[in-house]
Amino acid sequence: MTADHIIRNGAAIVTGAGSGLGRALAHKLANQGMHVALLGRREPSLIETARATPELLHPFVCDVADASAVTTTVAQITTDLGAPRLLINNAAIYPRRDILDIPTDAFMDSIAINLGGVVNATQAVLPHMIKDGIGRILNVATFADMSPLPMSSEYSVSKGAARIFTRALIADIGDRFPDIVVGDWMPGMLATQMGIEDGLAPDAAAGWGAALALMHDPALTGTTFEMDREILQGSGLKRKLKALLTLSRPQKPRIITPI
Amino acid sequence: MTTDYLNQDWDAVIIGTGMGGGTIGRVLATGGWRVLFIEKGPSGHRSERQALHSHVFTPDARALRGFWPTPLRAKIDNRESEFFAPIGAGVGGSSAFYAATLERPERHDMDDHPHAEWPISFDTMQPWYDEAEKMFHVCGAPDPLSAEPMPELLPPPALDPSDDALMGEMRAIGLHPYRLHSAIRYVENCHDCLGSKCPKPCKMDGRSAGVEPALATGNAFVLDDAEVVDLKRDGRTITEITLCRSGVEYRLSPKRVILAGGALGSAHILLKSDIANSSGLVGRNLMFHLNEMFALWPKKKVLGDATSKAISLRDLYHQDATRFGTVQSMGIGAGYGEILHYLRLMLTRSALSRVPLIMDLARIPAAVAVKMLGSAKVLVGLLEDYGYPENRVIFDPARPEQLSIEYVLAPELKARRRAFRKAIRRAFRGHRKMFLSMQPELNFGHPCGTLRFGTEAETSVLDPNCKAHDHDNLWVVDSSFMPTSFGVNPSLTIAANAIRVGHHLLKEARS
Repeated sequence: MTADHIIRNGAAIVTGAGSGLGRALAHKLANQGMHVALLGRREPSLIETARATPELLHPFVCDVADASAVTTTVAQITTDLGAPRLLINNAAIYPRRDILDIPTDAFMDSIAINLGGVVNATQAVLPHMIKDGIGRILNVATFADMSPLPMSSEYSVSKGAARIFTRALIADIGDRFPDIVVGDWMPGMLATQMGIEDGLAPDAAAGWGAALALMHDPALTGTTFEMDREILQGSGLKRKLKALLTLSRPQKPRIITPI
Repeated sequence: MTTDYLNQDWDAVIIGTGMGGGTIGRVLATGGWRVLFIEKGPSGHRSERQALHSHVFTPDARALRGFWPTPLRAKIDNRESEFFAPIGAGVGGSSAFYAATLERPERHDMDDHPHAEWPISFDTMQPWYDEAEKMFHVCGAPDPLSAEPMPELLPPPALDPSDDALMGEMRAIGLHPYRLHSAIRYVENCHDCLGSKCPKPCKMDGRSAGVEPALATGNAFVLDDAEVVDLKRDGRTITEITLCRSGVEYRLSPKRVILAGGALGSAHILLKSDIANSSGLVGRNLMFHLNEMFALWPKKKVLGDATSKAISLRDLYHQDATRFGTVQSMGIGAGYGEILHYLRLMLTRSALSRVPLIMDLARIPAAVAVKMLGSAKVLVGLLEDYGYPENRVIFDPARPEQLSIEYVLAPELKARRRAFRKAIRRAFRGHRKMFLSMQPELNFGHPCGTLRFGTEAETSVLDPNCKAHDHDNLWVVDSSFMPTSFGVNPSLTIAANAIRVGHHLLKEARS
């Protein structure tokens, strides 16, 4: 069996699957025939997500900020659905409040979800993935850390840290387990609770995200995609110069075919 | 937990789990002995696939990956440098990362060597080579130039079309290429783990063909992440091993000690502990090979896998009285990444290493090379190195943990290198070719000879059964024992000798 088969035949986990993008991603994966564990805090929303394909979509009430709850849930998923092979770290909150108004401890609570959730879920699935070294982790990311908007300190800091976590994770496992493919995906501005009104329909974005999550080329480790397109490292000029020096063609971004 | 294992009654304690340690452990455990492996590095995860590289440079992260954690300090031709040698420190040792080339040396390498003497004959070794080839699932084809009985090798996998064409061209110009002897089983979805850890029961090394079968007997145990820091003696007996695990020191009193920490590591610990050195030869006669890398352009372009490591030839093994070595596929392509990697390795060890930006500037020659090389195959000639007492592992009390060597390229070696290059040029007369190294390139992955064996206690460290002349319960079974380095990779000889010593120990204990 190829790595692709192994991943498609294993269980997928989507965090924050009770609404918006998470729900759409879960639906896309189920459309591909995968069993998907839906993680979220609110059971009714998860049940609502599962209604589309109940035999493939499985609700697991779990707060990703709670490390031991995540570990227990992943163990349960492994028993019920088999070893997790695909993890989409999607759960996040976006509290919009001024730094003067954030209650004591609330800042770190947001970090616990947006960064802690990614760390917790990743740590919980890795022991299963390294048994034979095959897996896929896709982190839903944003540019929010590049120039933080007003009233977005919790979101921009925690999501920026999550992007650093992706790179740190790759520094630890990239060379040892090249078939555990790890990367970031930026869905773009979405018309969800967290997004903007005239944004993109989550279902359209999920077509790219789910397709990317099902791509298992070790060369994808460390890449960042924005919507359907790879964001290349360095400026265009730098890339052209390197191509000139190495007498090669400038790198072209990969494009995702949506599912 | 550690003390539970240390206090058991082990028949043998093996320090190091590479080609030598892993192999003898399997022989002894299979023979019913209770065996404790002490390994400096970790067992690691079985699905790991990392290549042994130098861009991870913090000691902890290197140790975690099974790399030797600290750089080698080398004074070569009186120039000091520090770099990460391709040496492993984890279960399987360096062999976990090797390219699995298991070639036999030749009769004259042992029986009729102008520079050093073997206390045992090639004929004594032959059955142990047979045994090692079986144990390591060696595949390949016999060397058509050899007059020895054909070794029983497994059939090699189908030859890549470009290699097939190149072998045909070699034969047409009177050379005698054959399928390289390889300890890779080529199981389904084989990753061809040359230079990296193999995640499958496929590449046969000190771990997969040694430690793992030893553990399967139920008679062996591995104490990993455990560094031996001292050995104590009382007269002719090694009385105590001190090891350090997670910052805590432990002691154990061994019945028998089998040292297999590699030619650098074993000599280091013996010098540090002042053991087995009445001859003053511990650490001396250090040998490497000289790698003579060259690109060879097939006359006819046949598309195929440039990175295969399938061809070996011994037409240049020696010419009259001048000893060279085998020529074999390098197992790397003439691609940009590979060439850049080698250029940078060369630069690290050269005087240019202090020039700012030099590592980036290496991109330019690498790019030029890759354009020029195109469809070339990269081959390497392994030039035999001779042991000289002044080439040695040294122990520096100011840096008790660091491996340190002194090495001078003998004028004789430089002359042989020139002759080898000339012989390569002549042998491939009709082909376009280019040497890829300007300076002599020592192969730091092939250290050997630092505890040579021999019959006389004055001129050798080990006796013919690889027991220390000075002690009654200390044996060494890594590449340290070798008085000559041959013109082939040392691994098969390390394994064959470990099997030989293992059977000797079992027999001795029975009588």
